[in-house]
Amino acid sequence: MATGVSIFIGLAVVVIMSLLAWFLSPKGETQTIWRSSLILAFASCYLMWAITFLAQLHPLIVPRRGDLTEHAAHEN
Amino acid sequence: MAPAQDTMFRSADMSMVQLYIANEIGREIVNALGELGQIQFRDLNSETTAFQRTFTQEIRRLDNVERQLRYFHTQMDKAGIPLRKLDLDIETLAAPSASEIDELSDRSQSLERRVASLNDSYETLKKREVELTEWRWVLREAGGFFDRAHGNVEEIRASTDDDDAPLLQDIEQNMQGQNGDGDRSFSVMNIGFVAGVIPRDRVAAFERILWRSLRGNLYMNQSEIPEPLVDPTTNEEVNKNVFVIFAHGKEIIAKIRRISESLGADLYAVDENSDLRRDQIFTVNNRLTDLGDVLRNTRQTLDAELTQIARSLAAWMVIIKKEKAVYQTLNLLSYDHARKTLIAEAWCPSNSLPLIKSTLHDVNNRAGLSVPSIINEIRTNKTPPTYQKTNRFTEGFQTIINAYGTCKYQEVNPGLPTIVTFPFLFAVMFGDLGHGFLMVVAAAAMIHWEQKLKKVRDELFGMAFYGRYIMLMMGIFSMYTGLVYNDVFSKSLSIFPSAWEWDLPENWHPNMTVTASLKDNYRYPFGIDWMWHGTENALLFSNSYKMKLSILMGWAHMTYSLCLSYINGRHFKTPIDIWGVFVPGMIFFQSIFGYLVFSIILKWSIDWYAIEVSPPGLLNMLIYMFLSPGTIDGEALYRGQATVQVILVLLAVIQVPILLFLKPFYLRWEHNKAHAQGYRGIGETSRVSALDGDGDEDTLGDRSSIASEGVAIITQDLGGGEEHEEFEFSEVMIHQVIHTIEFCLNCVSHTASYLRLWALSLAHQQLSVVLWNMTLGNGLAKTGALGVAMIVITFYMWFFLTIAVLVVMEGTSAMLHSLRLHWVEAMSKHFMGDGIPFEPFSFKQMLEDDDQAADLQ
Repeated sequence: MATGVSIFIGLAVVVIMSLLAWFLSPKGETQTIWRSSLILAFASCYLMWAITFLAQLHPLIVPRRGDLTEHAAHEN
Repeated sequence: MAPAQDTMFRSADMSMVQLYIANEIGREIVNALGELGQIQFRDLNSETTAFQRTFTQEIRRLDNVERQLRYFHTQMDKAGIPLRKLDLDIETLAAPSASEIDELSDRSQSLERRVASLNDSYETLKKREVELTEWRWVLREAGGFFDRAHGNVEEIRASTDDDDAPLLQDIEQNMQGQNGDGDRSFSVMNIGFVAGVIPRDRVAAFERILWRSLRGNLYMNQSEIPEPLVDPTTNEEVNKNVFVIFAHGKEIIAKIRRISESLGADLYAVDENSDLRRDQIFTVNNRLTDLGDVLRNTRQTLDAELTQIARSLAAWMVIIKKEKAVYQTLNLLSYDHARKTLIAEAWCPSNSLPLIKSTLHDVNNRAGLSVPSIINEIRTNKTPPTYQKTNRFTEGFQTIINAYGTCKYQEVNPGLPTIVTFPFLFAVMFGDLGHGFLMVVAAAAMIHWEQKLKKVRDELFGMAFYGRYIMLMMGIFSMYTGLVYNDVFSKSLSIFPSAWEWDLPENWHPNMTVTASLKDNYRYPFGIDWMWHGTENALLFSNSYKMKLSILMGWAHMTYSLCLSYINGRHFKTPIDIWGVFVPGMIFFQSIFGYLVFSIILKWSIDWYAIEVSPPGLLNMLIYMFLSPGTIDGEALYRGQATVQVILVLLAVIQVPILLFLKPFYLRWEHNKAHAQGYRGIGETSRVSALDGDGDEDTLGDRSSIASEGVAIITQDLGGGEEHEEFEFSEVMIHQVIHTIEFCLNCVSHTASYLRLWALSLAHQQLSVVLWNMTLGNGLAKTGALGVAMIVITFYMWFFLTIAVLVVMEGTSAMLHSLRLHWVEAMSKHFMGDGIPFEPFSFKQMLEDDDQAADLQ
């Protein structure tokens, strides 16, 4: 399911959302504020998500713990 | 030229306008413009002192009225009469006419006289009352003394005439004869007395002085007045004692009188005859009740008067304050005696010009004046003030920027991206869904009850309230980053199935260390996998992740900010700033840190286990890229890495001389070219208003010549050349050297500075884990009745500590760090900030800034 391609799918989604934000922002004095804030917010949130996703794409270390309970061991 | 709509992207277009106002309606027009709050008047009389200006008399009169109103206010405070507050949002005060102001001034004059006279008589009466009360006490207490003293007459006599035994006996016999009529005895014995009251704290000194100066020739009796007496002048309570002093001889009595008066005692006449004394008490009591009635009446009248005033005092104060501001503004205008007009120069946003024009028109029509008021746009090369129009939402963000510096006129306003980047960088440090939620709730509550909370005057709360929209954004982004970090009050959410599975060996038993392995072709889709939570190496993982996150975020933020300098260069039409500063700077930054970011992402996207290569360390790679270009330490990240790195290093190094020399030499070339073609600097003469007249020898003549021509623009020698600086190569060069060194070093130090995102977010997360384990974690571990009690206690502890430490304290610290990242790391990339703030003449602003007026609302 979710692999490397997701980064680009996510990017496409954010670009579409940004375009929508650009065109659907309410007209008038606050239009610039709406556009800039929405697009910046989408971009920032995308960056945050993408970085987090990439960091776990090919992890170099694996989780390790010694206090696993019977219940937790079979849960995922 | 229709100006484009003003946006927050850059400061509003400003126009310098000249207003010709008929003298008769000057006051009304300035009043209307003050209500509008869109125009900043320039001082055209800067060479005249405050006392020489046209409307000084009016201002002085208004000052007096203001003083009288303040006097009423203090009287009301003294009497405990509440002031009816004025809600300026609801009640708009119509602009008063000049006659109304006169009326108000007369009225406050007469009211002041009345209140003052009432106050005086009240105080006099009060003083009288205190005196009478004291006298009554003296009479009452002295009666007791006299009765006791009569019993002791023998002793007194014995002590005074000790050496005259026969006389003693004689008197003794006499005394026995007139036992019932002992009243006469004192005068017979030539014993006088003094009665009065004295403050209790002086009694000891009084006694000592009397004893010493009279060498003990006295008999003093005193008693405390049980109730404290109020001193009417100071309104303080004083405890007093009644004293009666008996002594022998007129001189001594006179001496006692003098001493007691000098020590602040009040003496009262007391008759030694008990019948007369009874009469005295009776009259005193009668007079006291009469006085009480009069006092009550006076008080009532005064209170009624003040209550009457209290009803409209706030409105009067506001009216007077506005009126005073109007006259102060009128003093800035220049007065043309010949044509009886006032001439004003002002800055206003170009987009407000129509509004100002129609306002002028309205006022003119209302006054029914045949002479129209003229508004004239003039061209000038003076720097216009920077006006950033804000609303409730953007105000806080713009304040963050303005606290650092005022933007240059029309440069890119960093306030606009700050709306998102400030709360977002905060959230990277503060990321926790729960804490973010608490913050959103607090901010939403403040926004919901905005109208009510606006009136709260508490400094700390006021600050939080002012930043309520910032808080809201910070909270929302913190919830998002909390989801990404998968932290809710230090716990994790397992929304999606994990990408990890535990590798359980055959002989697995609890408490055996196990590791997990990845599932095929599935990665945790949003945020940090919850399987990492509570593992032994969770910190190892999150440190590596958050460190790289900070570098990437910092790089993105700085690149974004650097791009703004490109927009500035294009707007101000200075291509040299683009080619000589922006482009080399950008290449330098990208070839080092852009490359680092590229390497981080590349390293993440390679499956190192699959290709069976051990991944290279990026830090070493970056260091050796400069230390030994062309060689790779350890494994290569990709093919041809060494060559790419050499090219990048060369590219970065080449940018340094470009950054250093291109701009100064270009400017010199441009200057020389212009000079060679015979142009002179425009700074030598400059277009300004006709009324700036300094430097001209004959200002009046100058003005009349303008009047005849009807032209508002002349060119005028500026003398010092304040607007245009003479080109000086060395200065430009030094400036550029500083900029280059600063920029190159800052690229490194600023990138490193973004690592605070990692440090703060790590600290926040660890602190919330510790808090949980120390409080609620313990509570949940217990079972039974004890467990229930423990959960309740530890929950409250946890909750309040979460709010106090994690949300308020940590929030403040994260906010300050985010503030720094904006002011230093981001704004240094593009911000010029040598603007002059636009300070329009606005009643609303004036009343907000005035502390005293703020109390009235």
